[in-house]
Amino acid sequence: MDILKTEKLSKIYDGKVTHKALEDIDLVIEEGEFVGIMGPSGSGKSTLLNMVATIDQPTSGSILINGKNLLEMKHNEMAEFRRRELGFVFQDFNLLSTLTVEENIVLPLTLEGTKVKEMEKRVAAVADKLGISEILQNRTYEISGGQAQRTAIARAIIHRPKMVLADEPTGNLDSKASRTVMEMLEQINREDRTTMMMVTHDPIAASFTERIVFIKDGKLYNEIQRGDNRQTFFQKIIDVLSLLGGDASDLSSIRV
Amino acid sequence: MTFRQFAFNNVLRNKQIYAAYFLSSLFSVMVFFVYGIFAFHPALKEVHPSVTVGLHFAEGIIYVFSFIFVLVSMSAFLHSRKKEFGLMVMLGMTNKQLRKMVFLENVLIGSIATISGVGIGLVFAKILLMTAESVLELKESLPFYMPWEAIILTCGAFLLLFVVISFFTVFILKGNKLIDLIKGSAVPKKEPKASVVLSLLAAVLLAVGYGVALTVKGDKVVFAMIPVTVIVIIGTYFLFTQLSVFIINRLKKRKGLFWKKTNLVLFSDLAHRMKDNARTFFFVAIVSTVAFTAIGTLVGFRFMLTNSLAEERPFAIEYSSSVENEQEGEHIQLIEEKLDGLSYQKLPVHIKNVSIPSLATEYVPLTGVISESEFNAIAEAGGRSEKQVALDGQEAAYLYYQSTMMEAEDIEEVRTIDFAGKEINQKTAFGSVLMRTFDDYLIVDDAFYDAITDFEQETFYVFQVDDWKATADMGEQLLEDLGVSDTNGYGEHFTFSNLGYDWYVINQSYGTVLFIGLFIGAVFFVAAGSFLYFRLYADLENEQQKFAMISKIGLTDKELSKVLTTQLALLFFIPIITAVIHGAVALTALKNMFNYSMLESSVLVLGSFTLIQIIYFIFIRHNYIRRIKSYITN
Repeated sequence: MDILKTEKLSKIYDGKVTHKALEDIDLVIEEGEFVGIMGPSGSGKSTLLNMVATIDQPTSGSILINGKNLLEMKHNEMAEFRRRELGFVFQDFNLLSTLTVEENIVLPLTLEGTKVKEMEKRVAAVADKLGISEILQNRTYEISGGQAQRTAIARAIIHRPKMVLADEPTGNLDSKASRTVMEMLEQINREDRTTMMMVTHDPIAASFTERIVFIKDGKLYNEIQRGDNRQTFFQKIIDVLSLLGGDASDLSSIRV
Repeated sequence: MTFRQFAFNNVLRNKQIYAAYFLSSLFSVMVFFVYGIFAFHPALKEVHPSVTVGLHFAEGIIYVFSFIFVLVSMSAFLHSRKKEFGLMVMLGMTNKQLRKMVFLENVLIGSIATISGVGIGLVFAKILLMTAESVLELKESLPFYMPWEAIILTCGAFLLLFVVISFFTVFILKGNKLIDLIKGSAVPKKEPKASVVLSLLAAVLLAVGYGVALTVKGDKVVFAMIPVTVIVIIGTYFLFTQLSVFIINRLKKRKGLFWKKTNLVLFSDLAHRMKDNARTFFFVAIVSTVAFTAIGTLVGFRFMLTNSLAEERPFAIEYSSSVENEQEGEHIQLIEEKLDGLSYQKLPVHIKNVSIPSLATEYVPLTGVISESEFNAIAEAGGRSEKQVALDGQEAAYLYYQSTMMEAEDIEEVRTIDFAGKEINQKTAFGSVLMRTFDDYLIVDDAFYDAITDFEQETFYVFQVDDWKATADMGEQLLEDLGVSDTNGYGEHFTFSNLGYDWYVINQSYGTVLFIGLFIGAVFFVAAGSFLYFRLYADLENEQQKFAMISKIGLTDKELSKVLTTQLALLFFIPIITAVIHGAVALTALKNMFNYSMLESSVLVLGSFTLIQIIYFIFIRHNYIRRIKSYITN
């Protein structure tokens, strides 16, 4: 079953010089898939994610999530749709510093008006899965970056969304924390069959996905499947990136 | 681009950022200047030298207040620009240059604020004076004038203030490490903690203060005033810094409440905001309390004075004439001519002064006797029908002067008085304000009265006019026509008094004082409101980022409005409600002291302030929500 389906999706920025950020993107993500979006800076991958996240609106085309057309929704419907059907993981974690880790995790549920007992049960389960049970009562400035991102992941999945959207989730983390976070995402995807869409620069992070869609200059460029071996998948990613003419840092294999 | 050009362009091209600081500076200048216009008003100098001293003292207080206000505004302003400073220091700006830049900026903002403050103040003063004239029924007592003294004082005082405050920036910017500057205001705040002991202390202090203030009576209020004020001030301080945080932290422990819908977002911030804003709240609450109490007292006094005047003077015009007065007929005719056109009632009381040895004193050898019918007539006209008497034959009633403020005189109720060989049976004695000759009289049966032949004639005329306030101009004219305007109505053989004119005189002289009081109170109140406003906008950037983040997770417009409205309402009304309660207690204590209920004026004053605050709140709320929303959608 298709969870996400975009048709002829375009985004044009008007200005003195018209700039086509995205052009005719047709993308389908099926239930339980883990899809990575890659491409050089300015290729339009974040624009795509923002439109799927209903934060930004396309100029033309359509987006269907779980059969619902996002463009037909009103502003407030979108807000409710986001917090019920979508989960977000951001590069800079986006945790509220005035709340504890636990309170940050339950935020989407409290906005929905879930019962306290139910919330407590779910927090315990999700924290256990992500290995952050010990730090639930800590404040966000008392924990490490990796723990912060795992908290953000917990917040993104606690309400059992249809799809989790991740925007450079490892961008602010060191390689060890990156690895843990990606393993967590992969585990959640595998065990809970949660659909995931992740935008990333990092070929290592990308190698945890099942399928990678490459975008260049606002258009779909290529698509590769993982297969069984992560190591070969990583090599394939590096190959495509070099064809794309990405930055030298994208080709770096020092971390492997 | 020279350094000076850089500093100036920095201000002129970033109007938005500087607007809040500029406006609060402008506001301080304007308040100080408008007040100065009154303080230096030539009409007030004539009133009494002590009034001028008092006014200048208050001006000093306003100056100190402006100083603190501008200083706080500026430190908030500099705080919100930390990142910018960090960038400049990183690019190689020396500390000296940084201070020089801030100094130049301040001088620029300061001078523009001073000049525009004076300009707007002039217009505002004119409007205020006009309003004062119509609202307080003041006639030409405070005309508009060109206040050179106030202009010079304001310009001088504020240029000095901005220069001195610029030097303060050295202290504010000192000791900031580059890393802190670059991180700016993003450094996370520690969880606010409250001490149980101090929270309890706050509750106890407030309870004791209120308890004492509400229970003491009479003169003791004066002695209790200072300790109670100190106790309540300390209690209020801990209320905001400790008790409020304590209560919020307690509430946060109850997940059923804290984890309910948007409460999570609301409460999490509340404890921080309370702690951050505790001093602002404290300041606002105390300043507003002072404003409420001062204005409430002044308005109460005015009510007390004017009400008691009307209460004690049942008749618009009184004319009392002694036996030697040859102009009596002429004067009464004159009064009646003036009253022509108004609906009025003329009632004479013919007093027969007779010698009754048992009632005679050294100063009052003769006793006035008046007839039952004439007394009953004025009692009815004066709206004191309950004082009417019914007498038969030899019966009499003893009448003395007694106003509402006076105690009843100790006079025998029932007695027998010998008069010209007859016996008079006095069956009652009572006081009233009807015979404002201030003498004592015997009221007797008409037949008995007519039978008295050996007496000295004296006449007391009262004129009852329904619209007595309209007799003010006429009363002033009559005082002149009767030749008694210099002696306040006392002639050689007669006394004339007019309620309308006396009321007008009191109103005029007291109205000026009241106006100044109201003005100062309003200034303090508005200043308190601006303080809150400034705090709010200092935190705006953090709030915008926070709500942008939450809205990515999914927050509907309705929920956003709800959270923001509750947050703002708490911020706005907690100090004001505290002030209203403080003020109400203070006014109740004053009521106990003066033995005069100020309920009406208290409700009026506190109610109108609350109303203004609500309007202010609605305005700010609208503006604030709009700014947060526009940030989110961008």
